[in-house]
Amino acid sequence: MSTHIGQTAAQVAAPATQTPIQAAGQGAARATALATNHVVDAPHSNALTRLRERLDRHPELFTLFLLICLSITVGVINPNFFQASSLFDIARSSVVIGLFALGVFVILAAGGIDVSFTAIAALSMYSITQFVATQFPTAPLFLIFLASTLGGMLLGLLNGFLVHQLKAPSLIVTIGTQYLFRGFLLTFIGTVWILNLPEQMDSFGKLALFDTKSARGSRVWLPIFFLALPAAAVLTWWILNRTLMGRAIFATGGSSAVAERLGYNLRAVHFFTFAYAGALAGVAGLIHVCANRLANPFDLAGMEIDVIAAVVLGGARITGGTGTVTGTLLGVVLVVVINSVLIMMGVPSTWQRVVVGAFILVAGAFFVVRRRR
Amino acid sequence: MTASTTRQVSVDSPFLEVVNVHKRFGGVHALRGVNVSITRGQIYHLLGENGCGKSTLIKIISGAQPPDEGSIRLEGKTHLSLTPIASLAAGIETVYQDLSLIPNLTVAENVALSEQLVLGNGRLGRTLDRTLLRSTAQRALKSVNLPHTDAFLNTVVGELPLAVRQLVAISRAIATRAKLVIMDEPTTSLTRREVDNLVRVVGELQRDQVAVLFVTHKLDECFRIGGEVIVFRDGQCVAQGPIQNYTKAALGHLMTGRSIDASRYRRGAPGTAALLEVKGLTRTNHFTDVNLRVSSGEVLGITGLMDSGRNELALALAGVLPATSGSVQIDGVAALLKRPADAIAHGIGYVPEDRLGEGLFLDKPILANMVALVLDQMRGAFGLLDRDKSRVVAEGLVTQLQIATPNVDLPVQSLSGGNQQRVLIARWLTIAPKLLILHGPTVGVDVGSKDTIYKVIQGLAEKGMALIVISDDLPELLQNCDRILVMRNGRLTAGFQADASSEEALYDAMLAGPEKAAA
Repeated sequence: MSTHIGQTAAQVAAPATQTPIQAAGQGAARATALATNHVVDAPHSNALTRLRERLDRHPELFTLFLLICLSITVGVINPNFFQASSLFDIARSSVVIGLFALGVFVILAAGGIDVSFTAIAALSMYSITQFVATQFPTAPLFLIFLASTLGGMLLGLLNGFLVHQLKAPSLIVTIGTQYLFRGFLLTFIGTVWILNLPEQMDSFGKLALFDTKSARGSRVWLPIFFLALPAAAVLTWWILNRTLMGRAIFATGGSSAVAERLGYNLRAVHFFTFAYAGALAGVAGLIHVCANRLANPFDLAGMEIDVIAAVVLGGARITGGTGTVTGTLLGVVLVVVINSVLIMMGVPSTWQRVVVGAFILVAGAFFVVRRRR
Repeated sequence: MTASTTRQVSVDSPFLEVVNVHKRFGGVHALRGVNVSITRGQIYHLLGENGCGKSTLIKIISGAQPPDEGSIRLEGKTHLSLTPIASLAAGIETVYQDLSLIPNLTVAENVALSEQLVLGNGRLGRTLDRTLLRSTAQRALKSVNLPHTDAFLNTVVGELPLAVRQLVAISRAIATRAKLVIMDEPTTSLTRREVDNLVRVVGELQRDQVAVLFVTHKLDECFRIGGEVIVFRDGQCVAQGPIQNYTKAALGHLMTGRSIDASRYRRGAPGTAALLEVKGLTRTNHFTDVNLRVSSGEVLGITGLMDSGRNELALALAGVLPATSGSVQIDGVAALLKRPADAIAHGIGYVPEDRLGEGLFLDKPILANMVALVLDQMRGAFGLLDRDKSRVVAEGLVTQLQIATPNVDLPVQSLSGGNQQRVLIARWLTIAPKLLILHGPTVGVDVGSKDTIYKVIQGLAEKGMALIVISDDLPELLQNCDRILVMRNGRLTAGFQADASSEEALYDAMLAGPEKAAA
């Protein structure tokens, strides 16, 4: 975060370049035109109804709208926002929260909820980093990732098993396992930071997909680990929309009693969703270590609410059965932008929570009103 | 599922035989050695009072529960129990009362996903065959005369009206090429016109050699549809045979074990003093310029199609959906009904149709449900609820309304539908209303309980209470009311003297004039 502030100060001092703003301005204008052009020749009330119907079908459009409003506001206050470097900043910061959010979204779609994924990520990333650092320094990177993914998946399976066997609300179960996993990590694995990461992990975190200098000489880069997010998004979309499991997940979220009666295997759905979220959390944890070049067992705690907020802001109902991958990603970007951009606007970081809270209330109110009609 | 024997299947051997099946829940012996046989291309009506074991039998056939004893023979193969997937795979499709539709999935998915689930034997780790999904859904929707455009296929089921959802549920049976379709009280919330359409679809199923099993309380419909009846009483099958061999009274007797009077219940005559006077009552988009008068001691029936505005009119009088203009007078005093509390203050009671959703606290004791409206009169020391005082009130009502329960501390959900309905009526009696509005008083109630509820209605009218009964059940209105008003497109369009009218006349009045496009 401190690098952000330094960077921002420098950018504010430098004269702003015109082109990015113009480009973004045109982009926004085009988006508005796209959103309204199908109703240009229709009467006014009809236009409103159609827009409303559109929003009914695609609540994530509202998330997009909030995101555009926010970006324009920020861009007007601080024109430096419309720069490739801030885009890459946002992309980089979206990876870990995005992977978490995809997992939570899948569980939410099936009518459950998970608050233990950060604990799963912390436990699996720290244990594996420690093991590799002390026992197996030459382990190939893919094996490290595989181990973290499998570790997360096993912990997720435990969640799924408990939720299914106890028939208990998943909120209660995962609050329990969150304490369990975190306590286990701090009691049996370790409490100290691992600063000397194994070489292969360290260099993976630094490996760039795209690296260049901006006009003013600052580094503009995108790490290769960013690819994990689009890959996970595509995989999640494919599972949810192109497999029977995906349909079973939405069916369970819509009405688990009916789904069971129709012959959907609820045990498979519970096991799969929690294991999938666990696996994503395992990957996210390890990426977090590589990106920060340090493994801190106290990290990631408290991030659950941000992640769940992002998923809900993306249009998924907390009661399950709805939502889209696109919406989830938009929700993630919205939360990341709020968190990073307020600093650029000179708003104290304590205000971030106020703003995130306000956005959730606005979006929440919008989605509730939409449903009540 | 266990397959132990395989027999030669002859052409006219039954599709499904339930052989000597027993089922116990704790101390309750729900099914006591039931034998039922079902042949393809036949229509069956499963009749019986609530709690007689009908639902348990359906659950065993559809694989939701295993029997304790006995077996199920499907096309000659004996199974000790079934699973939902095995039952589906064998061609048994069950449309429960809630239609078993997933509200957030599309029409196409609701109709055609089961087929793919069965193809994969329930395994979920398979890709979705979207071409098959689409073509199957189209074929099935076509056969029930629903649109099969992409727009309709992609509509989320939760947005559809109930009658359309019903057809969607049936087209799922067609999509899975079901050989037996079980429908649990399919017509409960449908209007007559919608029922006609359902009956037509069932006729087509029958022609395609599909067996249809209705679970129902509506004897009139059974006779109209025809086929075989299967009558249950106390967990046993007491009769099975062609419906034309029975009379309504005989079936009622078989179900209840006592004789039911099918003649007119209404004996008394209404008073002359107008108790309720409604003038020019209007609620934009719902009903227009409604004028009506109800005298004390009168039973007034109101009927009409689902979208006729009758539901909204009742809710307006109950203060739930306030009218936008017009006036209501009770006993000559103008009553402004903006909230339910206003209606209660003016002595208007409203018993909703959806007694589970809107009326009763199911998991709370009968006592608590009954005194819910008069808690301030039940205060004892320190303003706390006086248990003894409320117990006296509740027990008095249990006796008055003949509610079948060993004690008033049991939760309402332990009662049958008819008794639950009486608990709700009892609650309103605590405020001694001048006018009681009953919306669908016998929806989902069995024959025996109907009889008791009708007697309660007449008893209240004799004591001078005015009653408005809103119902789809035309025989019910004819048996119980003095006058019957018909609503159409938001207006009261016809009035009948109940003792000089007929079902046909009422039905014609409901549909009279240019028909609106089917909603």
